[in-house]
Amino acid sequence: MNMQIEPEQRATAPVTALEVRGLVKHYPGVKALDGVDLVVRQHEVVGLAGENGAGKSTLLKALVGLVRPDDGEIWVRGEKVRLRSVVDAADHGIGMVFQEQSLVPNLTVAENIVLGSEGLGVRRGVYRWDAMRRLAQEQLDKIGSRIDPLARTDTLTFADRQMVEIAKVLRIEERTSHPPVIILDEPTSVLESKEIDALFTQVRRLREFASVVFVSHRLDEVLDVCDRVAVLRGGQSVGELPTADAAPDQLHRMMIGSTGSDDHYHGAAVEPPAEPREPRLVVRGLCGRTFRDVDLDVHAGEIVGIVGVHGSGREDVCRALFGAEPTTAGEVTLDGEELDLSGTRAACAAGVGYVPAERKTEGMVGPMSVADNMTLTKQEARCSGPLVRPRKQAKLVDTWIQRLSIRTPHRGTPIQRLSGGNQQKVVLARWLVSGDVRLLLLDHPTRGLDIGARSEVYRLMRELASSGVATVLLADSLEEAIGMSDRIVVMNDGRATTEVDAPVGDKPTPLDLVKEMV
Amino acid sequence: MSTPVVTKPAPDAATVARPTVGQRLTAFMPVIALVVLLAALTVADPSFLTQSSLTAVVRTAAPLVVLAAGATLVVLCGGIDLSIAALCSLGTVLFAMWLPDLGGLTLLAVVAATGAIGALQGLAHVFLRIPSFIVTLGGMSIFGAVALVISDAGPIRVVDREATHWLTLYLAGVLPMAFVVALLVVAVVWTVQRFTPLDSWIRATGYSESAARLASAPVDRVKVAAFTVSGACAGLAAVMLVSRNFSGSPTMADNLLLPAVAAIVVGGTAITGGHGSLWRSLAGALVVTLLRVGLPIVGVPSAYEQILYGAIIVAAVALTLDRSKLLIIK
Repeated sequence: MNMQIEPEQRATAPVTALEVRGLVKHYPGVKALDGVDLVVRQHEVVGLAGENGAGKSTLLKALVGLVRPDDGEIWVRGEKVRLRSVVDAADHGIGMVFQEQSLVPNLTVAENIVLGSEGLGVRRGVYRWDAMRRLAQEQLDKIGSRIDPLARTDTLTFADRQMVEIAKVLRIEERTSHPPVIILDEPTSVLESKEIDALFTQVRRLREFASVVFVSHRLDEVLDVCDRVAVLRGGQSVGELPTADAAPDQLHRMMIGSTGSDDHYHGAAVEPPAEPREPRLVVRGLCGRTFRDVDLDVHAGEIVGIVGVHGSGREDVCRALFGAEPTTAGEVTLDGEELDLSGTRAACAAGVGYVPAERKTEGMVGPMSVADNMTLTKQEARCSGPLVRPRKQAKLVDTWIQRLSIRTPHRGTPIQRLSGGNQQKVVLARWLVSGDVRLLLLDHPTRGLDIGARSEVYRLMRELASSGVATVLLADSLEEAIGMSDRIVVMNDGRATTEVDAPVGDKPTPLDLVKEMV
Repeated sequence: MSTPVVTKPAPDAATVARPTVGQRLTAFMPVIALVVLLAALTVADPSFLTQSSLTAVVRTAAPLVVLAAGATLVVLCGGIDLSIAALCSLGTVLFAMWLPDLGGLTLLAVVAATGAIGALQGLAHVFLRIPSFIVTLGGMSIFGAVALVISDAGPIRVVDREATHWLTLYLAGVLPMAFVVALLVVAVVWTVQRFTPLDSWIRATGYSESAARLASAPVDRVKVAAFTVSGACAGLAAVMLVSRNFSGSPTMADNLLLPAVAAIVVGGTAITGGHGSLWRSLAGALVVTLLRVGLPIVGVPSAYEQILYGAIIVAAVALTLDRSKLLIIK
């Protein structure tokens, strides 16, 4: 193994391998990064924690040259650098193992490892299999892996493929004389516990000759494997924690900020759910690709939050209820009538509305106008018979623009020119214009919105609930789920495992829920 | 009557891109191209700009306009119909074969048949989930071969010229009836599109199919309808060709595929879907026809025609393609 670390170097003050100062990145309507600082020293494993939308992935992308920051500096070993591409980052010794794996499945391990920088593996444009295998073997040796370099990548387990990725990313050592910085983005999200142990052994091994940035949603893991955790919230660095004597709840408090500060979205006067009646939505034993035997009741006027970690299947349950995800078994009734889950048309006709998580690609049609986006679903609201009535549409759309205080120059403005919050209000209004929506499925309705826009969406959700709409909410954060929901269902590995009442004045804490989620 | 609500623009509205100069230019591109071409041809041959030559141009353009207009609907939905020319050839054969039996009803029969074939392609695309490119490429080959088989690989003469005679007449002595029909097709389809939810559905499907589906727009039905209209238009174009050539032939329209696609993209309809209109394709078809007519005038042998179409398609798409939204260009 080629470790060029001199023992005395480790004993003296640690060298700063990577430093980020005041990094800023704006997207239309959002500040993804708003002054982030981060220091990664040599032979250190630094954890990066933060809720969804805290800016973790934007920061990582900036570190490997996939995102160009608007402001701020990145320093590598005392040298200010500008990273324009992944290759640029590699030249500076920074490499990343991506959350979605980046190996080509139908190539061998060796081909994947040399892919992109073939070096001696190719001579005069022709693969030299021997040299390539040796090269790959060298990389695999670095991490002590026994994977056969000539195995086809798609025959390996997910955990093994991850090892191959790590071996591949370590090739940046050839480009720089310094120990590299390896970024692991959510490496454990799909691993079994035994595989996680193996990965952690690997991370500790990497520390011997590299620096590691480790990102995970699972706080216990972060505390277990990292030397130090940097916490992001709302695009800003909010502090650091040495892991030696930290507890998960301490870390979690830093991630979500002081609990209770977001009370404004609870709504001032919330009626307790009406007297027990038949629930509006009744789901029994719903099964699909990623979920099994899900039971769920939602009453009219109630907001039910579904929480769960990545891979819990809650998004797919939501889509299935809208007929956008196939189901294999189960019964779903809406106000006592069986709900047709065969397609989105049927669900829509039955009074089900859905706001997708990916607003830009699934929620709205960017180049189309505010008015056309708003009336896309309930065409009858702007038509007389088969004909579109432009005046009727104008009147309707303007009413809703005013009612939801949507800030747009005009109803004819392409929706993509609006800010995120206003776009989301148009997408929500789509289900409201005809006034016949009975069940709203909201998949991360506040994703990517700033705090002001969020609270407006919260108020709108409250109003809709008060008017009798049943709502299923997949919240962007636990805080949001707790604040908005009357009841919270926890999903774990595709099953609804626990149900927690969350009435005003007796809300569960995030930690109560986290215990159930993992 | 409502008054438009004028509120302050969103705070970041200024930072979001306004239409670029290029985008503004492409909006008028087909018309500009048309005027420039007319001017250039007049300079090259001062005797060109006469009523009779313009009449000849629009008469030649008529079948192309109809073909391109139909296929534009498919392109607006985000697909492509490569089968139109072969289907049109098949249509000429069917017309010539059916005319003796069906007489005046032959036109309707041919349009219905090609429309049904178009619908089949749409259904295959939607329900078997095959890319429209492949379905219609296969269709192109199949329809061409069927036309060859049923016609014994040769032209079929049309003896009864009465049935198509009206298409060869002139309105007010100058406007060829075939072109009037083409204009009507464009106008009718556009009107139906414009004054029903169809326009919203088509554009939503073309810009972002997943968003359209999740907004519960009838994406599948809209696509099948687009292919049906495209097929029917191929049939109508076939009748126009027969009225001019007094025969049907299994390869009669085959050389119209490239000009039709060129007409669509020169018109500025985005090959990626969503953006564009039938009027644009009308202008595009006129541009393409002018080029075709004009090449000999400026002394370019007509053998160079196909080179020109190929170059036009690539250049027009290069100019109009919005690459910012495409992650991967296949």
